[in-house]
Amino acid sequence: MKIIHKVIVVIVLGLFLAGLPSSLPAQTPPKESPKEIVALLKEQSNKLSNDLRRIHREIAALRVDLDKPGIKDVFGGIGYIFGLFGVAAFVASRRKE
Amino acid sequence: MHISDGVLPISVAVGGYVASAVLVAWSARRTRSEELPKLAVMTAAFFIASLVHVPFGPTSVHLLIPGLTGALLGSSAFLSIGLGLLLQSLLFQFGGITALGANALMMGLPALACGWFFQRYKGRTQLRQVIIGGLAGALGTALAAIILAALLVTGGEDFFGIAKIVLLAHLPVIIIEGVVSAFTIGFLARVKPALLQPAFTRSL
Repeated sequence: MKIIHKVIVVIVLGLFLAGLPSSLPAQTPPKESPKEIVALLKEQSNKLSNDLRRIHREIAALRVDLDKPGIKDVFGGIGYIFGLFGVAAFVASRRKE
Repeated sequence: MHISDGVLPISVAVGGYVASAVLVAWSARRTRSEELPKLAVMTAAFFIASLVHVPFGPTSVHLLIPGLTGALLGSSAFLSIGLGLLLQSLLFQFGGITALGANALMMGLPALACGWFFQRYKGRTQLRQVIIGGLAGALGTALAAIILAALLVTGGEDFFGIAKIVLLAHLPVIIIEGVVSAFTIGFLARVKPALLQPAFTRSL
């Protein structure tokens, strides 16, 4: 019995050890030639630089939008104008009395 | 059509301030208190007009309406334009604050000229008022372009070259201003003709 046990253990271990080297390369990426790696990297960096360019463009557009006067400026200005003329009218009416 | 900071030499900027201060004071003295509401509305309109972008071909141009302001306000127009430009430069960053005097001259003098022109030639019939109003609107922008060229000459440019470029660049604005002014004045002549009688001729 003990011998059979030992044999089984040895066989299982042997199978395991034999299987290991064959399963290891499957987990790590397959070996590629350096050319392929460079191509992959280039593709990636192209994609990234495209994205970056888009973001740059968006930032520029945003800056232009920020420079444009908003609705607050418009109504603030109108308010100033009417307010100042209101004061002028008040002063003029006081002077008349 | 706004002059930015640092384009004009200091002497011209200061001179522009002095000249426009004198004109603003003159304009304010000639303004009667009954006209203040109308003045306020026209100032607000002038202030906003520069934000109205009219699509024109591939680009868009924005209105300036010195001619229309002048035609409706007469001698008070300078006060209105000075205040409008001050607020535009403070709130919209249109034109530099140091060049404000020069900018006021550039817009205000054409307004006064157009006011005089409109009152002198508007006649009695509506059609004539529309035509003269349109002409005044176009004239206002054209004169402003010429004054802009004259002011830029002091920065060391050659007058006729600049004037040609500025006038060409503003040709669409001149046409659109003429049309807009003609329509506005036609509308006012039909609805409220009393608005077309500024103090310019009444006290002259």
